[in-house]
Amino acid sequence: MAEIANFKVSAAPHQDSGASTRRIMLDVLIALLPCLVCGVLFFGLYSLLLVVLSCAACFASEQIFNLIRKKPLTFDLSALVTGVILGLNLPPRAPWYLPLIGGVFAIVIVKMLFGGLGKNFANPAATARVFLLLAYSTAMTQYIGADISGNMLSADLVTAPTYLGGGTAALSGSFLGVEGYWGNVLQMLFGYMGGSIGETCKLAVLAGGAYLIFRRVIDWRIPAVYLLTAAVMVLACYQSASEILLQLLSGGLLFGAVFMATDYATSPKWTYNRILYAVGLGVITVLIRRFGSYPEGTSLAILIMNLLVPVMDHYILPVRFGQLTKRGRPKPAVMVWCMRGLCIAMAAALLVGVPLVQYTEAPVRGGTYSYVSAVSRNLDGSYKFTVKGGAYIMDGYTQQLEFVVTLDGAGESVEDVEPVTQSTMGYTAELSFFEGQSYEDILARTDLGTDAETSATKTNTALRAMVLECFCWYDYNVAGYEEISYAGSENIVRAERRGDLYRFTVNGIADLVEYDYKQQLSYAVTVDAGTNTLLYITTLTESTFGYTLDKPVFLGKTEGEIAAMTEGDIQADITTGATVTNLSFQGLAQTCFDAARRLQGGE
Amino acid sequence: MAIFRGGVHPDGCKQLTRGAPIGRLPAPPAVWLPLSQHIGAPALPVVAAGDRVLRGRLVAKKAEGLSANVYAPIAGTVKGVVRHITAGGKKQDHILIEGDGSDESVSLAPLASFTPEAVLARIEEAGIVGMGGAGFPTAAKLNVRGRVDTLVVNAAECEPYITCDERIMLEYTGELLQGIRLCMLACGAERAVIGIEKNKPEAIAHLARQCGEGISVKPLRTRYPQGAEKQLIYGCCGRTVPEGGLPADAGVVVVNVHTALAVQRAAVQNIPCYERVMTVSGGACARPGNFWVPNGTPLHAVADFCGGREDCARIVSGGPMMGEAVFSLKVCTSKTMSSLLFLEEGECRPRTASACIGCGRCVQACPMGLMPVFIDAAVLAKDYAAAKRFGAAQCIACGCCSYVCPAERYLTQSVRLGRKIVKERKL
Repeated sequence: MAEIANFKVSAAPHQDSGASTRRIMLDVLIALLPCLVCGVLFFGLYSLLLVVLSCAACFASEQIFNLIRKKPLTFDLSALVTGVILGLNLPPRAPWYLPLIGGVFAIVIVKMLFGGLGKNFANPAATARVFLLLAYSTAMTQYIGADISGNMLSADLVTAPTYLGGGTAALSGSFLGVEGYWGNVLQMLFGYMGGSIGETCKLAVLAGGAYLIFRRVIDWRIPAVYLLTAAVMVLACYQSASEILLQLLSGGLLFGAVFMATDYATSPKWTYNRILYAVGLGVITVLIRRFGSYPEGTSLAILIMNLLVPVMDHYILPVRFGQLTKRGRPKPAVMVWCMRGLCIAMAAALLVGVPLVQYTEAPVRGGTYSYVSAVSRNLDGSYKFTVKGGAYIMDGYTQQLEFVVTLDGAGESVEDVEPVTQSTMGYTAELSFFEGQSYEDILARTDLGTDAETSATKTNTALRAMVLECFCWYDYNVAGYEEISYAGSENIVRAERRGDLYRFTVNGIADLVEYDYKQQLSYAVTVDAGTNTLLYITTLTESTFGYTLDKPVFLGKTEGEIAAMTEGDIQADITTGATVTNLSFQGLAQTCFDAARRLQGGE
Repeated sequence: MAIFRGGVHPDGCKQLTRGAPIGRLPAPPAVWLPLSQHIGAPALPVVAAGDRVLRGRLVAKKAEGLSANVYAPIAGTVKGVVRHITAGGKKQDHILIEGDGSDESVSLAPLASFTPEAVLARIEEAGIVGMGGAGFPTAAKLNVRGRVDTLVVNAAECEPYITCDERIMLEYTGELLQGIRLCMLACGAERAVIGIEKNKPEAIAHLARQCGEGISVKPLRTRYPQGAEKQLIYGCCGRTVPEGGLPADAGVVVVNVHTALAVQRAAVQNIPCYERVMTVSGGACARPGNFWVPNGTPLHAVADFCGGREDCARIVSGGPMMGEAVFSLKVCTSKTMSSLLFLEEGECRPRTASACIGCGRCVQACPMGLMPVFIDAAVLAKDYAAAKRFGAAQCIACGCCSYVCPAERYLTQSVRLGRKIVKERKL
């Protein structure tokens, strides 16, 4: 038997889990790969150059720092992780020196000066991003749209807005054949839009996150609770369920939640502290987005919460196994139950809140609208309309307008009008004409002129048309009518009533003699049989070329007034030029008044 | 089912020996019998150099207070009391007995009656100590009549490689159950719960069939350290032993499977405690298995018999999570050495401590709810008050924190040092 001589002595435990710092960092790099690939695919090879420069700056500055401080060189890959994350956080056409400055700042100032790996007080990449945002705010907020087919090598800067900066207008409205809201969501999920290099493609971020969670590199609770809290906060701050997905999928929230908030050195060590930390992240992110002056809040939120981590780690400790209070009783796990309760409460709030502020994306019944582009119902039952349209100012110039109009739950008056886009030269809408006014007030107000200096009469006129359309939308989609039968006219295909109000679905034809073209028309028209006035019009079928009915001409007018209108009265302005349509409608309105009188008299 | 928080799941490696029936290691030519194989004062020798002793003869008597008798494991001649190294690395008094090859033995006098007092006295007389590794004198442990209602039998065997308890459960089922009933009698428990990790389904089924009234089998989640006393009690009864308290404070007393078997051997078969079943295993062991090994057998005799290979990188007495690395094969076995592992290079990676990256895995893994990462930092900064704040005094040295640490830091050692200093200075 040979002598056993070469064995060594070591401290227990003699087995280990096989985890190593390098392997963890390698896993993070692997998880970042899909984001990098998608970023380069969407934004071109120039963005790859930015990421490479950022990595090089991080790696080189760490080694140079080590040389100066006479410390061993480090090859634990953590500098590369910082470099890739910082690079992916940059806009795709950032100037080449931004990643260099950012990388050196992240490694030298944030990491090495505080003691190197594991000793940094805040996430180096997030801090560097915030630093660059403050120092180079223009370059850091110029995004370009995604373009797979475009010139991969182009470094041209063609700015495009992001969702956070420009709302749904920044999205194409339809993606992979899906229209409207879900089209927007799908587009954001694929990330085929403007944004930072690695942040836009949410599917890539999710894939990376799933890999890290599967490899147990990151604690799934941090991204999960972060997203949950952000969702609840969006629901509370925007009062719109539809906004939740749009906010979660926009900007760097998801990327930050997966790759930056989970940074080891700067996130709490104990599970329930991590939940508290993630809750804080969610709250701060949404508060900054909603009320702050920056459109994006993820990096700042991570930076702020990072600074709170040492305090949390020091003062909130897990209850030890068998720990007793000073009075000798088992110590209750207060923190554990608080955090669990908080998560359950937030999940419940989502489950209850989302149906309450249900996004009524598709109108309940239909109708074609010139201005109303989105409608949602608020928690208090009121309706929020996003209305867009143009105010014709002069030849060749149409002022784009966008307002958010809120109607009360009964559809009787305007609660609030908020401008989103209007003239920047002072020709702004006079909101007091509408805010707090009832439908009757607005119908009655025909003089929309303001003083000569601002002279926003045209804006006011457009806004009035928009507000009237909101009321019409409410009448057609929300107000409850009962169906009745009426066979008095072949033009009327459907009749409904609600007290003295009669709503008719009426068909007609606009005969465009010059063009030998007969345009099919169909409207839902509501008349008040008591006062003999025309209250609401909803378009069901008419010209799709813009020769549409000029509804404000007819809304709120009595039967007599409409009958007395001459061709000159109802001739539309040059832009819509739907005179024939208007004339046809004059006849249709008469049909409706007749029908309403006969139904009312038949009682 | 109550499950303790934290813990780790190391590779069990039990397939090496779990199928091996318990064999017998040939009596070594000489044994160095440690006088201190237990917690408490070393036993006092009652033999002199030149005395001939038979197997089963008392050679050292328990000292005052906490201590345990020591019996001769082989027949032969006492060469005297010598200083010899122990597994812990200290030199201690050992009785050197040179064997004469004969198999003569003496047994204890049969018990007249099986009263609790008589059984307790016999346990004390036979020198039985906790054979799971702690070595607490069993008579003192079971002397808690009126304060406990449940006897928990530790059959978790959560340390990787070790299978001696599993083999005992399969091969000595009747004796084991009898031993458990004797322990219940001695401590006055109404019921016994045998806690077995679910990775031993055969043993669970076998015992559940035969255990009978008053004894139940509790399958436990396979998770290290399921066999740690407080975690085991929590898993078996859902009770929590208060900090600084004993299992009796939760109305429970815990004995190991092997201890229960030793009680039966002493009380029924009249054999005192001078040998035990050991698992000899590991990748660098040519003939792994489970063996009855006389106490005091030098480890090189075990290595020779089981074929400890030359490429062995580390030799561990006890399990790989808490066991000590053996620095010399001259060390001898004792009542508490449950296994000897010959590990090859791949089974025990050498550690190189690097900078903490703050991943918090040690915090998730700690079954006691401590913060090893901060205790480590506090101990290195010599701030022992902070170490206590983060729970250093409650460490059970299970090794989970070091096991999971990706930076390979010596967390367990740091925390143990913190615990030692906190207790010494009564912080």
